[in-house]
Amino acid sequence: MTRFEPARSVPGPRHQAYWPLTWALLLLLVVGSGALAPLLRGTGWMWAMTFTVTIVLISTAGFRRLGVRRSFVPITGLGVLLTFLTLVFGAGTGLVWLIPTPDTFTVFQGLIDSGIDSIRQQSTPAAPVAGITFLLASGVGLIAVLVDALAITLRWPALAGIPVLIPVGVPGLIIDGGAEIFSLVLAAGAFLVLLWFDARVRRTEEANQLPEGRSAPRVFARATRLGPGPMGGAVAVGSIGIVSALVLSAATPAFTEHSPVGSGNGSLLFGSGVSPMIDLGQDLRRPRPQPALHYTTTAVAQPYFKLLTLDRFVGTTWVASTNRINRDNTVQDITRSPELSKSVESVETTTSVVIDGVDTAWLPVPPLVTRVEGLGGSWYWDSHTRAIRSFDSSTLGQSYQVTALELKPTAGQLRDSSSEYPQSVLPAMDLPTLRPDIIDDTARAVTSGTGTPYDAAVALQDYLRGGEFAYDTDAPVDDGYDGGGVDVIGTFLELQRGYCVHFASAMAVMARSLGIPARVAVGYLPGTKTSDGVAGAGAGQFNINSNDLHSWPELYFGGVGWVSFEPTPGRGRVPAYARPADSAGPGSASGATLPTSAPRAGDDGLTTGGGSVNSAAGSTSGSDALLRVGALAALIVCLMGGPAAARSLRRQGRMRRLRRGSAGAATAWAELGDSAIDHAVRVTELETPRELARRLSGLPGLDGDAAAAEALDRLLVALERHRYARPEEAVAADQGADLADDLDIVTEALHRASDRAARVRALTLPASLWPAVLARQNSGRIRNA
Amino acid sequence: MNSSPIRVLADAPGTRSAEATAMAVPDVQASAHAIVRNIEAVIDGKHEAVETALTVLLAEGHLLIEDVPGVGKTMLAKALARSVDCSVSRVQFTPDLLPSDVTGVSVFNQAERRFEFKPGAVFANIVIGDEINRASPKTQSALLECMEERQVTVDGTTYPLALPFTVVATQNPIEMEGTYALPEAQRDRFMARISMGYPDNESELAMLDSHDTTSPLSLIDPVVSGAEVRAMMSTVRLVFASQAVKEYAVTLARATRDDRDLRLGASPRATLQLMRAAKARAALHGREYVLPDDIDALAVPVLAHRLMPTSRALGHHHQDSGPLLQEAVQRIVAATPVPVGVQSRQ
Repeated sequence: MTRFEPARSVPGPRHQAYWPLTWALLLLLVVGSGALAPLLRGTGWMWAMTFTVTIVLISTAGFRRLGVRRSFVPITGLGVLLTFLTLVFGAGTGLVWLIPTPDTFTVFQGLIDSGIDSIRQQSTPAAPVAGITFLLASGVGLIAVLVDALAITLRWPALAGIPVLIPVGVPGLIIDGGAEIFSLVLAAGAFLVLLWFDARVRRTEEANQLPEGRSAPRVFARATRLGPGPMGGAVAVGSIGIVSALVLSAATPAFTEHSPVGSGNGSLLFGSGVSPMIDLGQDLRRPRPQPALHYTTTAVAQPYFKLLTLDRFVGTTWVASTNRINRDNTVQDITRSPELSKSVESVETTTSVVIDGVDTAWLPVPPLVTRVEGLGGSWYWDSHTRAIRSFDSSTLGQSYQVTALELKPTAGQLRDSSSEYPQSVLPAMDLPTLRPDIIDDTARAVTSGTGTPYDAAVALQDYLRGGEFAYDTDAPVDDGYDGGGVDVIGTFLELQRGYCVHFASAMAVMARSLGIPARVAVGYLPGTKTSDGVAGAGAGQFNINSNDLHSWPELYFGGVGWVSFEPTPGRGRVPAYARPADSAGPGSASGATLPTSAPRAGDDGLTTGGGSVNSAAGSTSGSDALLRVGALAALIVCLMGGPAAARSLRRQGRMRRLRRGSAGAATAWAELGDSAIDHAVRVTELETPRELARRLSGLPGLDGDAAAAEALDRLLVALERHRYARPEEAVAADQGADLADDLDIVTEALHRASDRAARVRALTLPASLWPAVLARQNSGRIRNA
Repeated sequence: MNSSPIRVLADAPGTRSAEATAMAVPDVQASAHAIVRNIEAVIDGKHEAVETALTVLLAEGHLLIEDVPGVGKTMLAKALARSVDCSVSRVQFTPDLLPSDVTGVSVFNQAERRFEFKPGAVFANIVIGDEINRASPKTQSALLECMEERQVTVDGTTYPLALPFTVVATQNPIEMEGTYALPEAQRDRFMARISMGYPDNESELAMLDSHDTTSPLSLIDPVVSGAEVRAMMSTVRLVFASQAVKEYAVTLARATRDDRDLRLGASPRATLQLMRAAKARAALHGREYVLPDDIDALAVPVLAHRLMPTSRALGHHHQDSGPLLQEAVQRIVAATPVPVGVQSRQ
């Protein structure tokens, strides 16, 4: 016959934290977040995601443990997520950095916008700018709340795998190779762990739910069960998960073929792609070029066709300014750039364009367009970049006539141009504060001895075309520095291999580092001639295909405007005004001085170099970050020190009342019980005080302590008298000060007798503070036989 | 002859009318210790059984010792009786034992030409009833009536029994042939049932030495007088039971009535006797107040023999209900919260 054993703790559903499931979910989400690694550079974003997930999951488990109703836990999880995001991303707009205010949501909105922008415009691996990190952290936080609700609140852990497919599946949609098998297998493994833990938790729960009442069966099935065992079920569900993940990953390359990211026949160019630069590289690497457009022109030199201009940085990456388009700027009348001085020679040209395969919202036109006719749909021009785009139609099937100016500035005009730049181009000197030193160093070394921005520009162009650099469309991808961010430029300047994107971006960035406004244009080279011009005006028909996609820098010169350069060796042609032969002249004797990145005395600030602006911004954000780190540290200290302080206050209050005589044996015993709970001794109200005392004095380390045993005995007798003796005798037993002394002796002995871990836990996380612990312990009773 | 006169027998060592004055609790504890030590000189290694037996004596209850033959049931009863300086009678119950053998009989005295009462075996302070389940139900009920009423009525005359008056009955659970098992209503009259159990090795070895030459009982001298026992009983009655402890006893009793394994739970008389026994145990331990621990310690001996298991639970235990009932009571005790008393937990 089996002896009766008290049921091991039978926590009610209210106080069950489900820690094993929480850990399994944490593992699953961290592994799932890790699957994004191919998309992003660095590891900072990974920490942000891990941290968010940890905070959310631990807090939801904690709330459950504290007895918060299970259906409310997801709401508390959302609250914690919001608080956390406010602290980390709210830029101090939160009340006490924690409670979101309307300002906080404005900040969030800005972060979301910039994050979405930079996701659109960056290459992979992308630089995790603040916006992207925010999107990742909030996204994974929401997923954490969701899987927590699915797996624990609703107890459908199998469904919890679905939200995790989001981070796991995304790389497969974006990158050619599809999702990485390795991360899929890892995620599937984590999913299995979750199911396994769930099966264990379920089994324990079933075993603990003893039938009650007379009608309940006497023998309940604990050892035998019908159907597959829990492990079998987990393996079955897990296998289904793995198989479907593999099928999905096998299917993902096909996604890339038809995704809107790629360009070519029937697909959209720069529509919603990850990055124009990356798209450009992919198109250049096409084994068979796709026809893009053909044209005839009256221009003597066939024009470059510009699609869009990348003119600012988000984080460390070039992006195109968007949303600046004025609806009044119809393409029938495009105003001449106001900065173009009359002295610069310009020729009006007419070009007839027929689109063959380009499908994008950006219209390929020669630079300095003044009028476009024959377009279907509504098209607008951007007053800054002069790019033409549509919100409701695309280039596909269009044919149109473009009237444009062909600029012919002389080297002398450019050399003499003013280095006082108008307000509107000042943003074109901004550079990310964090950029490889090699950019500034190279720029300075290459341009040493040049006196004017123009000479510097030519020197940069010559340096890039000079033969040290090789044109290579594959090397950047193979070595993982594709795209046009400043990090990439640093690598490019070291490795000296790349294609137009790198050359253009490098020249623009180096120009900016020297204080010359610069930007990067993306478009097409003039293409190849297919038939001779027939009668006079034109020079024949030219065909442009996807291999003609190109990127080049534009630098700003006062009185002339934005001027193109061609730093890519072997591609395109160097404009006449930028040929070294023309630039030989009294450059160093010229009165204009090369602007430096250092702020000059007497400046009104308008012409301040990008570097100083950025460093100022950097220091602001640095102190901000310091504040945030401080707040976070304070929060952690509060979280860690809070329980200890609360426990200490409670103890001191009781001691004071005991010594004052306003409290008696019950208080002393309550304190003793709490100390015991803190030191991982189970205390239950199913046990008599005497039984607890016997168990305490029998603890290893306490059994030989005569003084403690006597003190414990005195406490016990005082309590028993207080509780169970005649009231008039109980009053005599309440001798607070003696009890306080005895209490000190016993609790110190208890502390000494505990192992190190229990002692640390007792100090930092006193278990007696949680009512749930008491409630749980009451459900089981330890009895000495 | 008057109708139902109360006749006090002259040779009775104690009477109801002589209400003894209570003694101090520490004295009770000291005397009890002396008795326990005395008994343990004869019975080795059975402290709990001895203590429970003494508790029942002081609580003015009756004790049922149920165990296999030869483990010292009768020895315990005799040692207890001899330790107290009071009268002892022993009845060996057999199927042909008559009720009048137990209670007594009126005999016509030819010389004095009147009926004379010949007291039966129950007219003693401690009555040892050996193998009570071998007697006929009629005889059993005669004894049990005396136990409850504490008086004997013969031919219209009521004779009060001595004080202290304790019946220590033994029965053999295994032997079934020719026995009349005590009905539950009659088992309910016993305050507690204990079983001796086999002695451990050491005790059995020591017993071989001590019991070899002389009868150990001859070594026992009384350590307390009958008057002292009566004083101890008065003290026990004065022991304080707080509201919380009373509620605890009631909760336990109610729990036995709702238990899924039990067909019959504890009667209110059981609750009453549990509390009385707990008071005796408190005094025995030198306390003027009852602790939940007293209740816990006595729950099995006082409650278990009154309960009846369901047939399903019994089927599981192959007809031997003793261990099953003990387990049920232990489980109930383990699952019942201990009362905190006047002040709630702070």
